[in-house]
Amino acid sequence: MAKESSKQDPEEEKGGEFDDFMADISQEIAQRVESLDTKPKAKPQPEERKKTPAVLEAGVIVDWPNIAERMIEEMR
Amino acid sequence: MSVVNYGTREITCKIVYYGPGRSGKTTNLQHIYSKLPEERKGKMVSLATDTDRTLFFDFLPLDLGTISGFATRFQLYTVPGQVYYAATRRLVLQGVDGVVFVADSQSRQLAENIESLQDLHANLAEEGLDPRTLPLVMQYNKRDLPAGEISPIEELDETLNFRDVPYFSATAVNGGGVFETLRSVASLVLSRLSAPAVGES
Repeated sequence: MAKESSKQDPEEEKGGEFDDFMADISQEIAQRVESLDTKPKAKPQPEERKKTPAVLEAGVIVDWPNIAERMIEEMR
Repeated sequence: MSVVNYGTREITCKIVYYGPGRSGKTTNLQHIYSKLPEERKGKMVSLATDTDRTLFFDFLPLDLGTISGFATRFQLYTVPGQVYYAATRRLVLQGVDGVVFVADSQSRQLAENIESLQDLHANLAEEGLDPRTLPLVMQYNKRDLPAGEISPIEELDETLNFRDVPYFSATAVNGGGVFETLRSVASLVLSRLSAPAVGES
């Protein structure tokens, strides 16, 4: 399990260490979040059904009340 | 405790660097800080004495941005290694999700390493945390010192790592092994992430 640290060229290494770390961690988090996302979805209230799906950041749809609405939206 | 909060779309984890005085805990955080891209650099809070010893603790908030739709933050802390700051160490350990034990590889520091490890276990137990199961990574630092001054890795590991957790050789002063250690403890912490109970946010 021991990992001997091998030093690279300092210029080459600069910034790369954090990027490598981010890449690994991002993958790990993605897997964890996916495996944990088992919370039963509460039945949406009628007024919620009419809401536009919440978009917290460009291109990422975080909450669709139901699959039918998503299909309709995507077919538009 | 680290939690995946589906309501606020947040993941927050607290990692503490523990170990005897002058083993290189602050140096670990300083290296991580030095490698952060400018846009992610928050403030590293370091409360040190005139003689450069950590008086209270170091705190480095690591904002990793949005990953899989979750705002992800790691909070990195060090504890003051000196024996007389026991109360501060207990305080910093509150709510910890993972620990990096930074051991000083110098042969003459072996007793201090053992004492600090015992102190860690006692403080975790006092905080109601199980020292046998909390995510832990060992880092054997100062491997760049002359061979005659440092203990072999195997000897350190046999003496300190009775849980057989991941361990890393490091020269934190020039960054060697620092990110490998962080990646390992982060991975252990993430593997224990829990979702809030149904009904919570």
